[in-house]
Amino acid sequence: MRIIINNSSMVPIYEQVVSQIKALIIQGELKEGDILPSVRNMAAELRISSLTVKKAYDFLEEEGLVTTVHGKGTFVNAADRQLAAEARRKAVEDELSLVLGKAFSAGLNKEEVSQIFEILLEDQYDQS
Amino acid sequence: MIKVENLKKRYEDFCLDLSFELPKGRVSGLVGRNGAGKSTTLKSILGLVKADEGSVRIFGRDVKDLSVEDKQRLGIAMSESAFSAYLNIEAIARILKQMYPRFEEERFFELCKKMSLPVRKQIKEFSTGMKARLKVIIALSHRADLLLLDEPTAGLDVEARNEILDILRDYLAENEEASLLISSHISSDLEGLCDDIYLINDGKILLHEATDELLDKYGVIKADEALFERLDKEHILAYRKEKYGYALFTDAKDYYKENYPEAVIENGSIDDLILIMGKRREG
Repeated sequence: MRIIINNSSMVPIYEQVVSQIKALIIQGELKEGDILPSVRNMAAELRISSLTVKKAYDFLEEEGLVTTVHGKGTFVNAADRQLAAEARRKAVEDELSLVLGKAFSAGLNKEEVSQIFEILLEDQYDQS
Repeated sequence: MIKVENLKKRYEDFCLDLSFELPKGRVSGLVGRNGAGKSTTLKSILGLVKADEGSVRIFGRDVKDLSVEDKQRLGIAMSESAFSAYLNIEAIARILKQMYPRFEEERFFELCKKMSLPVRKQIKEFSTGMKARLKVIIALSHRADLLLLDEPTAGLDVEARNEILDILRDYLAENEEASLLISSHISSDLEGLCDDIYLINDGKILLHEATDELLDKYGVIKADEALFERLDKEHILAYRKEKYGYALFTDAKDYYKENYPEAVIENGSIDDLILIMGKRREG
C-alpha cells in the first residue's frame, strides 16, 4: 500500500495514515472486502508504532470505512458513493481555497482572480 | 507479561524505584542517559540482580518461580551476555537446539545469511556490528513470547542500527502476540518501534507516555528572554537555559502555537525529552 509518512510534519502520524487510507478508498484503489495489512505489518512497513496504526484503524472503523473482525483482520467496507462524491468535492474546495489564499497574498483583487479563473475554466472544460 | 510492583534496589550512590506493567502484545521502550538505571531495571526483572523490595511477575508468576518452560518463552539480549568467542554460529545453533524446543534452525540460518554473518567463523573474529546482529538473531530464534533487549543497537552506526530494528519489526509482525521491552539511549531508534516510552532518570520513571502522543502533543518552544517572561508556563514540563534564551518542553504544543504564533515551536523528539527532562533538577 502506498502510504507515505512525513515525520517532521505537524500533522499527527495516525491522521496521516487515516487520510491516506481514506484517499485510497475514495480513489477506488482499495475496494470493498479488501483486507488491510495487520497492525504490526503496517507498523513494520511504515516504521511507526503499532499503537499508532491501531489508532488509525479504530478511527477509520468509527467513520464506517472499515470493519475489524477479531482474529481475521480489518476489511474495507463498501464505499458510500455519496460520501465519495462529497469527499472529492471537498478536496477540490480545499485546493481552490489554497490557491485563493495565494492570490490574496500576491495582492490580486477579486476581479483579476475571477478573470484568471474564467480563462482557465474555459481552457479546461472546452478541451474535454 | 511483566508486572513490576514497587521494585527497589539500593546501591551506595544510586537507588532504583519503579512500578510498571507490560501487557501482552505491547512494545515498550526504556530510555534514559547512561547510568539512569535501564540495565539494572532489565536485570532486576530477570532476577539477575536481587531486588531489595517489591515484586516482579513474568507470565503471572514470581520471577523466582519461573519454570524451564517459562524461561524458554523468553528471548533475551543483555549488554554483556554472549556465547564463548571461540564458538562459531554452527556450534551455537547446536546449543540453541538443545536449549529451546521451539528453536527454528532453518530460519536462524536464513537470518544469519540475510545479515551476512559467516557461520563457520569464530565469534572472536566478528566485528561489533556482527556480534550485535547475532545477539538479536539468537533472541529471536525460538518464537519467544516475551523479548527483553538491553541496548541492542548500542555502539552501532546508523545503518547497522536500522538493520537490527528491521529484524525486530519483522519478528513482531510475524508474532502478533509477542511483547517486547527494549532499552536504548538512542531514542530515535525507539520512536518508530515502541508503542509507549518510559523515561528513566536516577532510577525512577520520570515520564511514561504513548509514543504517538509524545510525537503529536509534545514539543520544544525556543524562546528569547522577553517571550520567556510572558509565556504561560502552565503546560511547560521543564526548561533549559540556552544561549538564545530558553528551550521549553511542553506537552501541549498546539496551545502555544495558537496563543503565541510568533514563537518557534518544534516537534518534540524523545531525545529532547532526555536532554531537557533528564536535567530538571539542575534547571
